[in-house]
Amino acid sequence: MIQFNIAASSGIPIYKQVVEQIERMILNGFLAKGEFLPSVRQVANELNVNPMTISKAYGLLEERGYLSRQRGKGMMVAQQEEQISKKEKMAMLEKMIAELISDATQMGVNHKELLALFKTKVTSDDNNQASSVVSQGAEV
Amino acid sequence: MTTSIKISKLSKGYKKEVVLNDLDWTINQGDIIGLLGKNGAGKSTLLSAILNIHPADSGSVTIFDQDNKALSNEVKARIAYVPQQNDEIPWLTIKELIAFKKQFYLQWNDEKVDELITRWEINTKKKMSELSVGQGQRVLIILALASNPDLMIFDEPAAALDPAGRRDFLREIVNLAVEENKTIIFSTHITSDLERIANKVAILHQGKICHFDDLDNVKENVVRVAVHSKSVRDVVVPNALNTQKSNCQISSVVTHLDKTWQQEMQAQGHQVEVNPMGLEDIFLEITA
Repeated sequence: MIQFNIAASSGIPIYKQVVEQIERMILNGFLAKGEFLPSVRQVANELNVNPMTISKAYGLLEERGYLSRQRGKGMMVAQQEEQISKKEKMAMLEKMIAELISDATQMGVNHKELLALFKTKVTSDDNNQASSVVSQGAEV
Repeated sequence: MTTSIKISKLSKGYKKEVVLNDLDWTINQGDIIGLLGKNGAGKSTLLSAILNIHPADSGSVTIFDQDNKALSNEVKARIAYVPQQNDEIPWLTIKELIAFKKQFYLQWNDEKVDELITRWEINTKKKMSELSVGQGQRVLIILALASNPDLMIFDEPAAALDPAGRRDFLREIVNLAVEENKTIIFSTHITSDLERIANKVAILHQGKICHFDDLDNVKENVVRVAVHSKSVRDVVVPNALNTQKSNCQISSVVTHLDKTWQQEMQAQGHQVEVNPMGLEDIFLEITA
């Protein structure tokens, strides 16, 4: 069964943590299209959390088009249009970047410095990829 | 939604001390509520007053639409209560106690009893008075679960349980929650348990239920906001519970983040930082 990593005492509601983790698993291909998710009851029992939390998470993912409810069979990873999936990926990255900026601000690193750091990192990664012969169709 | 419990203007005091003060609270079927309150806030008083075990001084309570002073046997059989103090008949063995209790209920789940007796390694030949506090509490929980009640009230169920016992207990609550329409109220100091299994959180403070909301709403709404700027002298944070201010930073816990205010602040060149809070911190701030 897929593993979730739940921090009950975090300020982030558990359903949100589940939503985010499933989103990630779908976007990075860990969960394949057509694959079935464990039932609400199974997940609730496994994580020892209120089942309503899990059905709320599944419901939201269904609304966003990640999952589709199959009668009598449960929740399946939906077939997504390439474009939507790209848009979702960008949205997720944007969120991660926002977190990074907020972290940087807290550390007293200003935007200019952060941008410079980002540039250096991206450039060095590019160079590494160019020099390695077996770069497997480097995405992004 | 169907109401399970309706409390109106409930008051109770001990000698000169007022514990419950005109308390109103409505609980719906399917609610799984974690009840928080400081030591001495009156959680046990409230729970036992709901069931009229220790009657209130004034006010009224209905359970499944019946006055709690005149519950029918049918309604009584749908309720289970696990008190903090083990008050079961001390000279009965566990086996005798289970057989005794079983007579009062229309539905009794023998399988559940056997399963938990085995899992929790309870020696049914022992008398109630011979059990440790933790084992005693487990027996009470087994008795409560066995009657397959529609309303369960637990007063600090996890207090005497070890981590494995607590996990098992939470699992049983999760199993109950899967069957909708069960109403469960439990008081606790262990907020992480509450955060796992409750869908609502109630805070008892100064004789009243001062906060009662979906757990997710509480976590999404109550946040810590910090504004950094050259000068924050004129900054006022809306909906703030408390505020700490220095020359260039103001930090507040708010009951609700005002998004328009946040945008205005940012437009004025202030840096606004929003951080979520765990329930324990939220509880401490609300009851501070």
